[in-house]
Amino acid sequence: MTETQGFVAGVMLALALGIYTFWPENVFASQRQKTRLDYLLERKEQLYENLRDLNFEYRAGKYPDEDFAEQRALLENETAQLLAEIEHLQQA
Amino acid sequence: MAAFGSFALLIALALAAYNLFAGTIALRLLATGQPVRISPERLADTARRAGIAGFIAVTGAAFALIWSVFNNDFSIAYIMEHSNRALPAAYKFAALWSGQEGSLVLWAWLLGTYGFVLRLTHKTDVKLYAYAGTILAAVQVFFLAVINFAAPPFSLLKGAIPDDGNGLNPLLQYPEMVIHPPMLYLGYVGFTVPFAFALGALMMRYPGEKWIKITRSWTMVTWLFLTMGIFLGMHWAYAVLGWGGYWGWDPVENASFMPWLTGTAFLHSVMMQERKGMMKSWNVWLIFSTFLLTLLGTTLTRGGLVSSVHAFAQSSIANWFYVFMGIVLAVCIFTYILQRSHLKSEQRLESLVSRESSFLFNNLVLLAACFVILWGTLFPILSEYVQGTKVTVGPPFYNRVAVPIGLFLLFLTGVGPLLPWRATSLRAIRRNFVVPSIALWSTVIVCLAVGVRPWKNGAFDAGNFYALVAFAISAGVFTAILSEFLRGAGVISRQTHRNLFAATYLLIRRNTRRYGGYIIHIGVVIVVVGLAGAAFNRSEERELALHDKLPIGPYTLECVGFTQDSNLNYNSEYALLDVYRDGKKQFQITPEKRVYLASQQPQTMVAIHSVPGWDLYVVYEGTNPDTGQPIIKAFLNPLVSWIWAGVVFMVFGTFVALVPSLTPATAALRVPATKPAPSEPALGGGH
Amino acid sequence: MRTASRFTFWIKGAQALALAVAMCFSMGASNASSRFNDLSHRLMCTCGCAQLLGECNHVGCTESGRERNELSAAIASGATDQQILASFAAKYGATALAAPTTHGFDLVAWVAPFAVFAAALLGTILLVRRWSIGKTQAVAQAPDPAMDALREKIRRETGAGNDGGFSA
Repeated sequence: MTETQGFVAGVMLALALGIYTFWPENVFASQRQKTRLDYLLERKEQLYENLRDLNFEYRAGKYPDEDFAEQRALLENETAQLLAEIEHLQQA
Repeated sequence: MAAFGSFALLIALALAAYNLFAGTIALRLLATGQPVRISPERLADTARRAGIAGFIAVTGAAFALIWSVFNNDFSIAYIMEHSNRALPAAYKFAALWSGQEGSLVLWAWLLGTYGFVLRLTHKTDVKLYAYAGTILAAVQVFFLAVINFAAPPFSLLKGAIPDDGNGLNPLLQYPEMVIHPPMLYLGYVGFTVPFAFALGALMMRYPGEKWIKITRSWTMVTWLFLTMGIFLGMHWAYAVLGWGGYWGWDPVENASFMPWLTGTAFLHSVMMQERKGMMKSWNVWLIFSTFLLTLLGTTLTRGGLVSSVHAFAQSSIANWFYVFMGIVLAVCIFTYILQRSHLKSEQRLESLVSRESSFLFNNLVLLAACFVILWGTLFPILSEYVQGTKVTVGPPFYNRVAVPIGLFLLFLTGVGPLLPWRATSLRAIRRNFVVPSIALWSTVIVCLAVGVRPWKNGAFDAGNFYALVAFAISAGVFTAILSEFLRGAGVISRQTHRNLFAATYLLIRRNTRRYGGYIIHIGVVIVVVGLAGAAFNRSEERELALHDKLPIGPYTLECVGFTQDSNLNYNSEYALLDVYRDGKKQFQITPEKRVYLASQQPQTMVAIHSVPGWDLYVVYEGTNPDTGQPIIKAFLNPLVSWIWAGVVFMVFGTFVALVPSLTPATAALRVPATKPAPSEPALGGGH
Repeated sequence: MRTASRFTFWIKGAQALALAVAMCFSMGASNASSRFNDLSHRLMCTCGCAQLLGECNHVGCTESGRERNELSAAIASGATDQQILASFAAKYGATALAAPTTHGFDLVAWVAPFAVFAAALLGTILLVRRWSIGKTQAVAQAPDPAMDALREKIRRETGAGNDGGFSA
C-alpha cells in the first residue's frame, strides 16, 4: 500500500466513523432516574437472599437455635418494613 | 500502511476526545437539568457511538501494525527493531507487545475492546454506563495521546531501508510469550472498567449497591486474566530463563502482583457492601488503588525507575504516566471529598466471630502483602535518596517478610468459610473446626515422620519450617473447604432426596459465586503446596564427557552425545542425555543452547521432565572451550507441577463463579400472588 | 483417654514449636558447600541480570563465574559470613547484597513492613471492636398484625421450613 492509498483509506475510515457517530438517530436509550421503588426492590432481593442463606446455614449447623431465631427476627423485621414501604409506593 | 495506521490512531484520539467532551457535557446538563436546545440524551448517545467508532479506529491501527509485520515492512522503525523475515508467523504477533510502541497500541486496543462491549450493553443501566463510558474515554484519551505524540508506532526509518529486521528478542520466542503478555494486559487494562464504574457511581451518587452486581463479572473476568497472566509468566520464566525457579521477586513481577492483591481484596470486601451496605469508602478506595497500581506497574516496566530483567522497553514516556497518575489520584480524591456523604454507611458487626470480621482480616493481610511488595520495590529508590547508596531488595527479603504473611492469609482461607455471616457464638461452630484441626496436626506429624523437619544438622532451617507450616495449613484448609461442600450437600440431599453428587451439583448451581470461590481456594491451596516444594529443591552441575554420569535424586543422567545444528533462525548446541532410574533407562532428554542469528542473542532451551512428585529440569549451561564438552546443570524440583494444576482449579472456579446462580422458583411464582405478576421483580442471581 | 491423647498432642506441638524457636538462635552453616549455597543466595550477580549469584546461569554472563570462584576462595580462607558479605559489598557496592543489611537506615526496610502490619492489625482489631454491637438486644415482637402477615409472606418466599424452592 502506498502512502497515498493509505491516506485515502484513512480519510474514508474517518468519514465512515464520523457518519456513524453523528447519524441523526431518534431511537436512543433515555437515562431514566432510578426511583425509590427500584431501590427498594433491589434491597428486597438482597434481604431475601440473606434470609435464604441464613436458613440454609442454620440447616447446615452453623447457628445455634437462639442465634438463628434472633438473626431471623432481625432480618425479617427489616424486610417487613421494606415490604410495607414497597406496598405503599406501589399503591400510590 | 504506515500512513493509514498513523491516520487511524489520530482518528481514534479525536473520537475518544469527543466521547469524553460530549459525554461530560451531556452528563453535566442532565445533572443540572438546564434547558438547552439539543437533547442531552442525544448528545450522550453520540458520545457513546464515538466510543464504539473509536474502537474500530484503534482496531484499524492495530491491524495496520500486524499487517506491516507480516509483510516485512522494514521502512517502519518499530517493525525493523522487533521483527525479521525468518521469524515464525505466531511470533510475528508477539511483535505487537515486544516493544514500547506496540504494547501501547495493544493497551489502547484492549481498552477499546472492553469499552466496545460496555457501550453495546449500556441498556443494563443507561445512566451508570454513560458515566463509566465517559471515564473510560478519559483513560483512552491519555493512552492515545501518548501513542500519537510520544511513542508513535508508525514512525518511518530515516535513511536506507534495511533488507532484514533485528528480530524478536529470543526470550520472547516461546509459545507462552504469545499468550502471557496479552493475558496480563487484559488483566491490567480490565481493571479500568470496575474503576470507571466505581468512580462513575460515586460521581452520580448511585443509589444502592446494584452497581457492584453489574460490575462483578467484569471484575472477575479481569481478575481471571490477571491471574492467568501472572501464572503464565511464572511458567515462562521457569521454562525459558533456565535458573530453575519461577518467581524472582523482580520489580515487574511485583508490579503485576500488587494489583492482583488489591483486586482480590476488592472481590472479597464488596460482598460486605452488597449484603450489609458496609465499607463503602473502603471499597471505592480499593478499586481506585488497584487502578493506580496497574498504572504504576506499567510505569515501572517502562520507566527504568527500578532495574529489572524485564526492562526491554524503557523510554521517556514514564513522565507522561507520572502526570496521568497524578491527575487520576487528584480526580479520585476530589470526587471522594465531594461525594463522601454518599458513602456514609452504618458499620455494624454482630459478632467478632463472623464472616464479616474474617473478611476484614483478609483485607488487612492482602493489603499488608501489597504494602510489603510496594515497599520492597521502592526501597532502593528511598535508600538512594536518604543515604545516597542504592541497595538491592531481593528474594531473601521477600522470603522472610512476605512468606509469613502469605501463610497467615492461607490460614484465613480455611477459617473464613467455616464462619457464617452475622452473629454467631464460637461455641456453636467449634465442632466445625475439629476435623480441619485433626487434618492439620496429622499432617505435621506425618511431615516430621517423613523428614520434613524445621531443623537440619542441628541448625534451624527456615525453608523446611515454612514448608512444614504450609503443608499443615494446606491440609487444614482443604479439609475445611471440603467439609463446607459436604455439609451443604448434606442439607440439600436430606431435603430433596438426591444422592450426594447430585446434591453437590445443585449446591454449586444455587450459589455459584460462593462455591466457585471455594473451588478457587482449593486451587490456591494446591498452588501453595507446589510453592512449598521449593524448600526441597536440589541441583547438580558438572561437565560431561561422553558416557559420563550425573546422579540427581532418584535419577542418573548419562551423556550419550552432544552435537550442533543450525537453521535459518538460529544455531544450536545440544546434549543427548539418557535418564536412568533404579538402573533402568527411562527416557532421553536434550537440553539445548541456541544463538539467534538476527539478534545474535543466546538462549537456553531447558529440558523438563515433569511428574506429579517432582520435575527433572536440565539446563545446557555451555560448552567448555578447552575440551568442547557440555556443562550440564540438573535440578530436581519437587511438586512444581502442583502449581500449574492449582491454577487450573483457580480458572475453573472462576468460570463456575461467573455462571449465574440458579434462583429458587419463589413462592410468589408458585403460589398465586396477591399482587399482579409484573410488579414482582425478577429475582436475579443472589449471594 | 481422649483428653490424654489430646494433651500429649499439644505437648508435642509445643515441643516442636519451642525447638523451632530455639533453632532460630543457633543458626550457623556447618560445611563449606552448604555455606556456599547459603551465601551465594544472599548475594546478587553484578552483571545487571538482577539474579541471585547462586542462580545466575544465563548464557554469556561475564561476572557470575568469577564471583562464585571468589566466594569459594573466601569460604576456604576461613572468613566469617559477615566478613565475606562485607567484602563483597565493599568491592561491588551495596547492591551486591541480595537484601538490605540490618544496621543503619537499611534496618528501616525490615522494620517498616512489620510495623505497618502490626499497626494495621491493631487498627483492624480496634475497628472490629468499635463496630461490634455485641449481642443484639432481644427483638421486640412486632405487635402489628400487618407486619405478621408480611412476615408470613417472607417466610413463604424465602423457603423457611422447606427446601427454599428447590424441591420441584
